[in-house]
Amino acid sequence: MTRLRRDPRAERAAIQVATIHVAAGARPRYDRTAKGAAKGAALAADGRSRRDPRAERAGQRVPGANRPRFDLSQVVAGPAVRGEMPVVGESRQPAAPKIVVVEDPAFLVAVVPDAAGGRLSGHDRQVLGAARMLAGREGGVVVVSAGPCEGCGPAGADRHVALAEPGADPAARAAVVAAALEALNPRHVLFPESLDGGDLARRVAVRMGAALFDNAEVVAATGLVRPARGRRVEQRAAPGLLATVAADAVPDYGGAPREARAVTVETVPAPASNLLSAERIPADPATVPLALAEFVAAAGNGIHDLDLFRQVVAALHATPGASRVLCDAGLMPRHSQVGASGTVLAATCYVALGISGAPQHLQGIAGCEHVVAVNTDLHAAMIERAGLAIVQDAQAVMAALLGLLEQEAARHAAGDPASGDRTGAAS
Amino acid sequence: MKIAVLLSAGRHPVSGAAVLPRLEAQAIRIAVRLGEAFGVLDGGSAPFGLHAGPDAATVADALGQGLARIEHLVLPEGVDPVPALAEHLAATAPDVILAGRRGQGGGESGIVPYALAAALDRPLIADVVSVAPGDEAGTLRLDQSLGRGALRRVVVRGPVVATVHPDAPASLAYAFGRARRGTIVSLEPTAEPVAGPAIPVEERPYRRRPKIVKGAPAGGSAAERLKAATGESGAAASGRLLVDPAPEEAAREILAYLRRVGVVAPDSTRPNS
Ligand SMILES: Cc1cc2nc3c(=O)[nH]c(=O)nc-3n(C[C@H](O)[C@H](O)[C@H](O)COP(=O)(O)OP(=O)(O)OC[C@H]3O[C@@H](n4cnc5c(N)ncnc54)[C@H](O)[C@@H]3O)c2cc1C
Repeated sequence: MTRLRRDPRAERAAIQVATIHVAAGARPRYDRTAKGAAKGAALAADGRSRRDPRAERAGQRVPGANRPRFDLSQVVAGPAVRGEMPVVGESRQPAAPKIVVVEDPAFLVAVVPDAAGGRLSGHDRQVLGAARMLAGREGGVVVVSAGPCEGCGPAGADRHVALAEPGADPAARAAVVAAALEALNPRHVLFPESLDGGDLARRVAVRMGAALFDNAEVVAATGLVRPARGRRVEQRAAPGLLATVAADAVPDYGGAPREARAVTVETVPAPASNLLSAERIPADPATVPLALAEFVAAAGNGIHDLDLFRQVVAALHATPGASRVLCDAGLMPRHSQVGASGTVLAATCYVALGISGAPQHLQGIAGCEHVVAVNTDLHAAMIERAGLAIVQDAQAVMAALLGLLEQEAARHAAGDPASGDRTGAAS
Repeated sequence: MKIAVLLSAGRHPVSGAAVLPRLEAQAIRIAVRLGEAFGVLDGGSAPFGLHAGPDAATVADALGQGLARIEHLVLPEGVDPVPALAEHLAATAPDVILAGRRGQGGGESGIVPYALAAALDRPLIADVVSVAPGDEAGTLRLDQSLGRGALRRVVVRGPVVATVHPDAPASLAYAFGRARRGTIVSLEPTAEPVAGPAIPVEERPYRRRPKIVKGAPAGGSAAERLKAATGESGAAASGRLLVDPAPEEAAREILAYLRRVGVVAPDSTRPNS
């Protein structure tokens, strides 16, 4: 093999930056990135490329976490010819997530998510995390959703089978899902142990004549664990065909996004439904028990105008709550008390009006994801806890809020009927 | 109209003593109310309980909760009750079969009602909180719980199997006189015991495991998990603080926040929001 001889002087001359006024004694300037290009071209001529360990390392970096984490299972081929583009430019965008592709999975792990409204729930994501763990490096995770479902790839799915929406009857859904599972022939199938998911899993198990390992609290390739006999014992078994996964037991998938390639399988038409009709009745916020309510607005000692408070609660379609002070004073019913000696909420959103945020009260809202606080005291504990904190007189804010809501309602009433139809369909 | 309630030998979650599971007591209340609606409260067509197992003493409480008669299929310990139950129910053909959504104190897999519905070839309606006669003759209206107080109301024709959700009305008070008057009928099942699909399991004392902290990044450091657990990350860390805004401004901010969270319906008069 004859190698080209380097000519350092010529290389250097080639990368010298041409300056307009070459004043006597001015320093010559060189463009080193161009030097790489020149050298790369020279090397390409004899067909050898150099590894770039830094760029490879950067490509293996998992985006997101503060602490740098590397996925060593990915082998990132360096650019074929080094220096075609400056390496500096490449390592500046390692954030662009690299999609992991499993071209030919050794086996499949199927996940049947609830996917209410075409979106994965938090529980669905955890089940996908569990499936990803079972699939390991060689296996593929396939999401089998009845109806469309978005966001499967980042949650850890390699394949996605979107079945036609089989309607409201769970028996029809089970028939369609069971047929799809038989066509896919996965090694394991995981369901979320939720109201709908648990129901579907049992129907599919009976239909396929397979045993179901329900409510698994530990999912690993070595075994699944479920509680039994009132949590006196736990049962461990090797992963079988069908299993359901308990909520908040398994972490979400945290790695690089996967491709969620759309796959079609032969489907059976949904069998005739036994249901004559099915209609959804949304919860009435005024009567739903406080412990079950989704959205709670509560008044504390800083609220003098309780009539206004009740109007605001009704206009927001929230469930009314109160701090202990108001309940003790008889201004609000006892069953509306939020806190350690009242009700512990499971709400997603809590609006605290004129509540200081005593520890006994905060215990009741520990599970609330979103908190809004209105208080005149900047240093109240509730202001610190809130996602949106407003230091202002609660009476004035409530009046403004009610005004705003009434304005919108009036605009809505005066608006075209088409917009009215849209709310009807959405709610 | 015949109504059957499936009764299981439950264990109290704390003491481990034999009790009637709460869900089955609630199912009895639903059955009694439905019997009243159809006018079949006494005589041979009254709602009855059905238990398959070695001993009926554990379900005798159900008599005091409102049932007049319990039929007891005598089975040895550890035998799958589904074939015996299916055979008996196919013979007596009740129009409504009610069961709890899970057993209590046993395997707690909740598969029995599904296996029975498949064996009897009937629709199964899961997690009901109320059962009432439908508008048309021969139909039933069932309210299914969807969680958080939301319901799905379904209308079905003909015999059904339904499982009861904990959100159903609380059980009737226990009455000693009723419990004394009620009868338990023992029957010998003729069905061959068939081994259903089962998974070989290894049992150990239960060990509590930490729950996943919501919002903690997967594979994050201990400090990140602690922050997520105490609520310092997420909403509270990125919290907005408005000091002395105009009330109108504050109201707009609150409404926008609530819409972003998704608890207030979007303003339909503004097409872009
Ligand atoms: C054993 C025990 C159990 C308890 N259990 C509970 C329980 O379950 N639930 C519970 O709630 N409490 C409970 N408490 C009581 C608790 O300790 C507090 O006393 C109570 O929560 C305080 O209620 P508050 O925030 O409404 O009133 P305060 O502490 O009086 O706070 C009123 C707040 O309103 C603000 N404010 C005043 N005027 C206005 C205005 N115009 N606009 C806006 N803000 C204004 C003030 O700045 C203040 O922050 C318990 C106490 C004990 C000892």
